[in-house]
Amino acid sequence: MDKKHENLTSGHAYGVPSFVDSDKKPLELNHIRHGDGRMTSHPPCEHWDDWTEWDAKSWPKQVAKNYQLVPTVCFNCESACGLLAYVDKQNFEIRKFEGNPVHPGSRGRNCAKGPATHNQIYDPERIMHPLKRVGKRGEGKWKRITWDEALAEIGEKMAASRKKRKDGICYHVGRPGEDHYTNRVIKAWGTDSHNSHTNICSAAARSGYFQWSGFDRPSPDYSNAKTILLISSHLETGHYFNPHAQRIIEAKMKGAKLITVDPRLSNTASKSDIWAPVWPGSEPTMILSIANYLLENDLYDKEFVKNWVNWADTLKEFSTSNELANTPDLKALQQAIAADAKLLEDYDTFDKFLKATYAPFNFEMAAKECQIDAKILENMAIAVSEAEGKLSTHVWRAASMAHLGGWQVARTLFFLNVLTGSVGNKGGVSGNSWNKFVPKPFDEPPHTDTWNELHMPHEWPMSFYEMSFLLPHFLEEGRGEIDVYFTRVYNPLWINPDGFMWMKALQDEEKMKCHVALTPTWNESAWYADYILPMGHAGERHDLMSQETHAGQWIAFRQPVRRVAMEKAGIDIKYTYESNPGEVWEEAEFWTALSVKMDEDGALGIKKHFMSPYREGEIITQNEYWQWIFENSVPGLPEKAKEEGLTPLEYMRRYAVYEVKKDHYQPFAAELVGKYNADAAGRAVDEKGVVKGNMVEGVATVGFNTPSKKLEFFSATMKDWGWPEKEYTIPWQLESHVHQSHIDREKGEMILLPNFRLPTLIHTRSANCKWLYEISHNNPLWIHPSDAKRIGVAAGELVRVETEIGYFVDKAFVTEGIKPGVVACSHHLGRWKTSGTAATGQGIGSGMASVVDIEEKENGECTLKIKQMGKPWKSWDPDTSRVWWEDVGVNQNLTHAAQPDPVSGAHCWHQKALNVKKAEATDSYGDVWVDTNKSMEVYQKWVAKTRSAVDHSPDGTRRPMWYNRPLKPTKEAYVLPEKPFGR
Amino acid sequence: MNYGFVIDNRKCIGCHACSTACKSENQVPLGVFRTWVKYTEVGNFPNVRRNFQVNRCNQCANPPCVEICPVSAMTQRDDGIVGYNSDQCIGCKSCMQACPYNSIYIDPETGTAQKCHYCAHRVDRGMEPACAVICPTHAIIAGDIDDPTSEISTTIAANNVTVRKPEQGTSPKVFYIDGHQAALTPTVTMSTSKQFLWSDVSETNMDQHVDENPTLYMGDGSQMCQTTYNTRHSIPWHWQVPAYLVTKGIATGIFMLMAMAFIYGMANLDSMTNVIAGGAVVAFTLLTTVFLVWDLEKPERFLRVVFQPQWKSWLVRGAYILISFSTLTGAWWAAETAVLLGLIDMDLGLIREVAFLGGFPLAIGAAIYTAYLFAQAEGRDFWQSPLLPFHFFTQAMMAGSAFVVILGEFTPIEPDFVQMAFHGFSIAIVINLLMILLGEFGVNHASDTAKAAAHSITHGKYKNLFWGGAILAGNILPIVLIGLKQPSLGALLALVGLYIYEHIFVMAPQHIPNS
Repeated sequence: MDKKHENLTSGHAYGVPSFVDSDKKPLELNHIRHGDGRMTSHPPCEHWDDWTEWDAKSWPKQVAKNYQLVPTVCFNCESACGLLAYVDKQNFEIRKFEGNPVHPGSRGRNCAKGPATHNQIYDPERIMHPLKRVGKRGEGKWKRITWDEALAEIGEKMAASRKKRKDGICYHVGRPGEDHYTNRVIKAWGTDSHNSHTNICSAAARSGYFQWSGFDRPSPDYSNAKTILLISSHLETGHYFNPHAQRIIEAKMKGAKLITVDPRLSNTASKSDIWAPVWPGSEPTMILSIANYLLENDLYDKEFVKNWVNWADTLKEFSTSNELANTPDLKALQQAIAADAKLLEDYDTFDKFLKATYAPFNFEMAAKECQIDAKILENMAIAVSEAEGKLSTHVWRAASMAHLGGWQVARTLFFLNVLTGSVGNKGGVSGNSWNKFVPKPFDEPPHTDTWNELHMPHEWPMSFYEMSFLLPHFLEEGRGEIDVYFTRVYNPLWINPDGFMWMKALQDEEKMKCHVALTPTWNESAWYADYILPMGHAGERHDLMSQETHAGQWIAFRQPVRRVAMEKAGIDIKYTYESNPGEVWEEAEFWTALSVKMDEDGALGIKKHFMSPYREGEIITQNEYWQWIFENSVPGLPEKAKEEGLTPLEYMRRYAVYEVKKDHYQPFAAELVGKYNADAAGRAVDEKGVVKGNMVEGVATVGFNTPSKKLEFFSATMKDWGWPEKEYTIPWQLESHVHQSHIDREKGEMILLPNFRLPTLIHTRSANCKWLYEISHNNPLWIHPSDAKRIGVAAGELVRVETEIGYFVDKAFVTEGIKPGVVACSHHLGRWKTSGTAATGQGIGSGMASVVDIEEKENGECTLKIKQMGKPWKSWDPDTSRVWWEDVGVNQNLTHAAQPDPVSGAHCWHQKALNVKKAEATDSYGDVWVDTNKSMEVYQKWVAKTRSAVDHSPDGTRRPMWYNRPLKPTKEAYVLPEKPFGR
Repeated sequence: MNYGFVIDNRKCIGCHACSTACKSENQVPLGVFRTWVKYTEVGNFPNVRRNFQVNRCNQCANPPCVEICPVSAMTQRDDGIVGYNSDQCIGCKSCMQACPYNSIYIDPETGTAQKCHYCAHRVDRGMEPACAVICPTHAIIAGDIDDPTSEISTTIAANNVTVRKPEQGTSPKVFYIDGHQAALTPTVTMSTSKQFLWSDVSETNMDQHVDENPTLYMGDGSQMCQTTYNTRHSIPWHWQVPAYLVTKGIATGIFMLMAMAFIYGMANLDSMTNVIAGGAVVAFTLLTTVFLVWDLEKPERFLRVVFQPQWKSWLVRGAYILISFSTLTGAWWAAETAVLLGLIDMDLGLIREVAFLGGFPLAIGAAIYTAYLFAQAEGRDFWQSPLLPFHFFTQAMMAGSAFVVILGEFTPIEPDFVQMAFHGFSIAIVINLLMILLGEFGVNHASDTAKAAAHSITHGKYKNLFWGGAILAGNILPIVLIGLKQPSLGALLALVGLYIYEHIFVMAPQHIPNS
């Protein structure tokens, strides 16, 4: 490295960024006339390498600053929107993040969280160096170590574990922020190590979508829809908020009808033509009443259902099933089939079957179940019927993740798409896999042959996916122990239900032998780690992402923007931490280095997967890794790059995004090349007898990724794996754990809706974004005026919410915008640090977290009490002394019982509130009390609902082979264990 | 070229992206906002909606902030952008009083007035404002409203648009499609919730509270109509301003009394009286200046009012009146004192003639000019009262004569003059009381914010202070004491009461929400 730039890299001075004055003048774009008279929105790409603009702060003095613009990808939700970093060309400080105009998903626009990336980078509370625990876990004593020490020590522990077993390492990821890199690394280790946050997030919706289609998330084509039905709040949150909100509003302006189902008046509900605040958990009934309307009025797309749904299989099942023929009408139909087997091949029979099956779901019945005006249901049904096959629907978390049987919300919702033929077409709903592109890396290690019982135990054979939030309960029961536990952008203690159980598990050095927290910032869980390894934010790392934001495919390349700018300036950089603040690294390089460390002599067969494809015997670098992918795995990219006289890597470094496909519709209808015959189930079978697709009127088509190659109305898999009842095998209503019959409102019982999000916050990761916290910093309890009056509280007064395992005390937000009988609390806020943390001067900023005292008693009772609310604090950022708010929220999740759905494995977020009352005189704001004995009781109550693979597997395996897993092991690993836990 | 914004509420999803993009682009510190999204909620479950409204500087065609700014720190550019200049601003905060939209704040770093300036540093080079760039739904349309082909012009033409508070005569250029009355008019919501949707309600928000007589009829109050998110706005003027009004009243009042005595021969003024009462004039004038400068954020830049004046501002005109008044009275008093002390020997006849004849109109001017300054404060309708010049005159007469009555107790001033002051005080205080009760609070106010301010004084937050302090202690008791032949005690009470009244008069309208 040349001397001039030495002080700019590795451990450079960190504080309020300043920017160097420039002699250059900003470009005059005034002469550019856009068609609609608009000004220019973004700096034109050809000027990104040398962009000058007037300094905003000095204005009206004209002071010029000169920047290198480097595109990257936002990390503040999963949408992967484009960002454009302004990096000072002299001192490489980052001035701001704007949108990347060439990104096909976000199209140059962002939400409030995009610009706030700057707050994260210039956060005075950042962790700057690798830290190692000294003293006891959670005691808060750390010493600074080097990256080499961290790699050597952790690598050794991993190697020791790997030599012993293949299920001793756990990589527990909150926000992946990329599509394949880490999974490849884990495969290289040969272990079953992937653990995610999916089961507190999207497991239920995945389950419902997957049963239909073999894809596990929806990709609605909002901009072309005529009717949009959201059981979500996509105008403010969700996968993928900004890209989707743009397109939903686009459709609305073109005349589309917007319907939102939510017991709470979300911002999305406020923008809707129809708001349907149904009783939580009754959504499937509501949807099925719409389905019934379509069916009984023959307003559904028969042609589509006939061609693409497994109706023949369903009829065959029906002909002998007591479960499906459980009404007089259906029995009569069954008898008619018995009398005339030809009826089985007649679609009209299925039409009759459908009509008879869903006839009970009339509007009156549904209105009662949903506690909503029948007129609203009818208006919704009319809007759906008028969609002309352009119906976009969406559920991702919301109701599906809230209820026992919530997966049926997704299953029934997609039924409407099937009935209206709105599948994969313009304005309809596609599968995520059709609109997402994940390129292959240079080397694919083999699948592991091991099944990690701590991640996917036998009780939940159909879960999507790992039973992640139950890890502490499993450890408590003695199901196993973990050698090396990585948490990555994940704060399990805070975000999961039953946080005190996590606190206990994380402190248990016997069961959790080593905990490595990979995190950009302090969090409640990291406090109980053995190593804290600081990893970069959006502009400080390499990742490759693709998301199904619309009917098309793109890849986006997250880049360490300082590094890219420095390299463009001719500064040589070996590792990204040289260009990041302090010694903040990035996972991509870290994993490579760690994996190599784990297997220095190559004996474990790990190291070979990290050798450069370009330089014999050398370890692969980031440049080489991405170079290979962009050169070999992305169709069209090399050609496109060549047009601009760039290499594929140079192209991606320049634009950070590439559009793989545009206007991508109905790939399932594509014709198969070759000769195929139809089998008895109507599938296309090749000459070798292998099932390849779906036969539609004699034409072999790609079909769906299900055993039948069709959309599965009847799920044989569910039946085969121990769930034969009608309400499990076909789209139906399951009774929620908070069904109205379980909530005695006379006794003061209510539903706690604890899982809604705000447009301005990043799950648990917002406390380092001052601009976001300034807008939203607390999570009061939404309560209807009638309920508030009943319990005698006014806005701002304290309320105590009692759950099955404890209680919390919050302030009331009184509004007509919530269904009576339901209280709601945003899941974001209530970050804290202990008095111990506060005393060390480390941790989350004082304006962003309360200081709390925690007590864990011998008898299992735990309390958390706020000692100090948020307040201004002194740091190098003068803004921290301007914090004007005090209330930074309540960590309500601590009081949530863990409630795993027996089918999808999802945590059913809604809590039965045993009582919601005016706080007692001794209560203080933010009080949390939990009895962990009750935690285990409730957990066991839910375990009792499961149907284990040990008892129900049709073939001695642990899980249906065709069901997805993030990293599928080999067939051998699927064999049921000899000694299943608890048997 | 004439820049403006359209905010299309059909598209706005209330996401706050514009808020953070602005903070990022303009490096706006915590605690202040150039643009923000206000949330209001109206209706009853399930017929209820939340409304979002992006609030920011309206880039008014007729900007009151520019007119009131004493030093041209606020400027209207040829392209319609209302800009600011932090290097010029003295931090007098009168622009904040002039803005009927709460769009201006004091930047904590520079102590100067700042606001949305339409990203002029970008627009000058042809780049859109940052908020328009980020908006996910293209709900913010920036452009030239004088160009009939521009997107903004065609959008305005094709839709029903509305603006905030057009009745202020400011000609706002931020146009809302589908604006909701509950958000457009801040006094519409019956209450600001004590707990916002997701944030603390700052004290100033809590204060800014219209608890009765909302201007939108929403049934009997069982219908919800509340603000559930808004930003904080600090009160610009503090105790120094009412204090300045009182000291100015005393100074000009004493002088007017003396001038009347001198010109009309209503009382004899000997040298001692001139030195003592004149001394009080000089001292209170000085004190007035101290209070004026004290409440500036940039007191060191005070002299720019004199040397870099913006003549439309009554702050400038007032300053010149005050300077003339203090120069004249100061010179006269110095001469009187010097002669009395025997330092010099000269005939004061001409000096007195010039001082009293010339000083009388200046004193009247100094007493009442604040009414014209207050009238420039478009953001405080309550201050824009046609009665105000006369009221300030009366108050000055009352305060000045009251002070002379008190002086009469302790100093060897001419009893004749004290007697005249006693009469003046007796008349002025009765007129003052009538002006307050029959005038300021007796006549119905024309605008909702003026009404709300008056209501908060007579029936709300300030009612005890007003009735107990300003009216009873400050007017009625002194009148009774005059009757009981205790004029000095009455005069003292009247001065205390005057401060209380001015405090209420200055503070109450500042608590009425402008956004």
